[in-house]
Amino acid sequence: MSVFMDLNVNYTADKSQLQSLIETAAHLGFSTVAINYVFEPTEIPAPTAISELMDPLPIVQGRSRPIRVLNRLTIVMSDASHFRPTAVEYRRFDLLAVQPTTEKLFHAACMIYDVDIICISVTEKLPFFFKRAPVNGAIERGLVFEVSYSAAIRDSTRRRYTIANAVCLMETCKGKVRPLPVPPLDLRGPYDITNLGLLFGLSDGEAKEAVSSTCRSVVLHAETRKTASGIIYTVKSCSDSPPADCKSRLHPVSQSSGWLMVNE
Amino acid sequence: MSPDLERTPRNLLVSERSSFLDQKNRISSQLDQLHFNYKVCVLLPECSSAPSHLDSALNTFSSFYLIRKLPLYELLDTHFLETVRHGGVSGLSYRTRLDEDNCVALMPNGRLSLSLDKDSFELLGVEGKPSRFNHRTKSRFVVCVDLTDSSMAPGGRGYQRLVTGLTSRLPLKTDFLMSLPAGGGASVQALLSRYDWSEHRPEVSSCSLTDLLCPAPLTSDPPAPLTSDPHRLLEWLGAVHAAVSCENSSSSFLSSLVCPEPNKKLSHALRVSVCGLLSHQDVQKLIQEIRVYLSVSPPGSASWASVTLHGFVDSPVSWGGEEHGVLRGGDNFLSLMMFPDQSYLLHLATGAHDTCPP
Repeated sequence: MSVFMDLNVNYTADKSQLQSLIETAAHLGFSTVAINYVFEPTEIPAPTAISELMDPLPIVQGRSRPIRVLNRLTIVMSDASHFRPTAVEYRRFDLLAVQPTTEKLFHAACMIYDVDIICISVTEKLPFFFKRAPVNGAIERGLVFEVSYSAAIRDSTRRRYTIANAVCLMETCKGKVRPLPVPPLDLRGPYDITNLGLLFGLSDGEAKEAVSSTCRSVVLHAETRKTASGIIYTVKSCSDSPPADCKSRLHPVSQSSGWLMVNE
Repeated sequence: MSPDLERTPRNLLVSERSSFLDQKNRISSQLDQLHFNYKVCVLLPECSSAPSHLDSALNTFSSFYLIRKLPLYELLDTHFLETVRHGGVSGLSYRTRLDEDNCVALMPNGRLSLSLDKDSFELLGVEGKPSRFNHRTKSRFVVCVDLTDSSMAPGGRGYQRLVTGLTSRLPLKTDFLMSLPAGGGASVQALLSRYDWSEHRPEVSSCSLTDLLCPAPLTSDPPAPLTSDPHRLLEWLGAVHAAVSCENSSSSFLSSLVCPEPNKKLSHALRVSVCGLLSHQDVQKLIQEIRVYLSVSPPGSASWASVTLHGFVDSPVSWGGEEHGVLRGGDNFLSLMMFPDQSYLLHLATGAHDTCPP
């Protein structure tokens, strides 16, 4: 298992409220949080630098290290043009997430888009069903699906929808999921979220992984996405030929800087 | 697919009934196998204050040391290893969570156990095994080293590899709790002088309870055999020690725990707890004193006594030096119910990620 992470702490313009959210998360035992900027695609803001937000960062309860804070962008998409892979603004964020609202966009997000997290809104009846092919495609690419549990805490009707939709998702994707809270009062400790995960159809181990190892793999996926751009590997065509005859192949991976060179 | 919500997290409970007078009783070895003890809780019925000999046993638990930010390679220091080889030195990393951080335990027999996450294990470069409690991916590894082995003598190959790993590749530093055998303080003075350390005595707290509901078979004279489920008995005992109400009143939603039926009210009882890094010898001495207290008490007063010994939740090892893990809880404890005729009822319990108690 790895450290507990909460990758959705909603951004508010009120600095003191955000600080108290981060303190609550540290008190509950989360070692990493990500401040989520949810925006419509037209205007992407610049994230506040963490050092400006809070210095020094609070120590995580029960450990001796301060909490780590990341910045995350969630784009609510109702059209394919809303996600611009080459946008410079995306690079300022550590994590990138999309929330597709149609089946076609869901399919595109799973198979093509270079993101880390796909958010599934579970509080209302979804206009599409989860198909195994795009879900498996997303999992193979290292993406994770995110389910909100805050509605399940607040309201009994929305709790029914949440559980029904989440169970439906779990059956399709076999547990590669992580739960997310939303507003401040709805932050829960990692072991409580593990228990909630059981309601969604996860096993003990899967539910705990959803708050720890799966989040770690998302953060590592994001780091790789930001740093690795492509792979060049060279293949010798014949043993005695000079280097000019060596073929090289370019494989684009994502949009940032840097290339990885591999010799065969 | 509907989740099986009535299924509680897996736990193991071993119950044993025997007598201290029976030659074959294993109580002493069973107590010794729970290496790292955090808390001992005593419940004495019909008693408002501890008698003097018991009081002195409770207040004379050995002290332990807390060393802040100890680099782990210091545990391989030549002089310290000499002390370890004589036996009786035990230590545990403090403020490290077993399911999140790297944890370290040094057992009295000289075995050093490191429970590491994947990145730390790969950096350290010492032979180890994946944890038994990994779910799908191997995210936790355990490195076990016998410091008394010849390959771990200073200059030995295993020693060199571990020291190099802990100094250059993975310079782990952690707060460390250490307990030494009697008179062992002098031998580690050199180590302690290099770091910020403090000596602590285990903290004793006692509380006198009135009108305590208690299972009736315990209070009868002689105590009748307990027919209730051991889980319910332990639940009741836990509620008493945690000061949780067992009234189950309709106006309170906090607790629906109740005392097992049939039950009887005790006019007063004494609840004492001692917290810290507790040594086996002190715990054995306490149990001995309670046995004496039960045997000399007049009939009808003290008809039973209970001692519960809790192991550290975040210790990498529990029963018998076997690997311990935390899933949703890392309980590993022992509950001993003693009677005036020197018989006892013993419960050994662990959580989901643990081996079966002895």
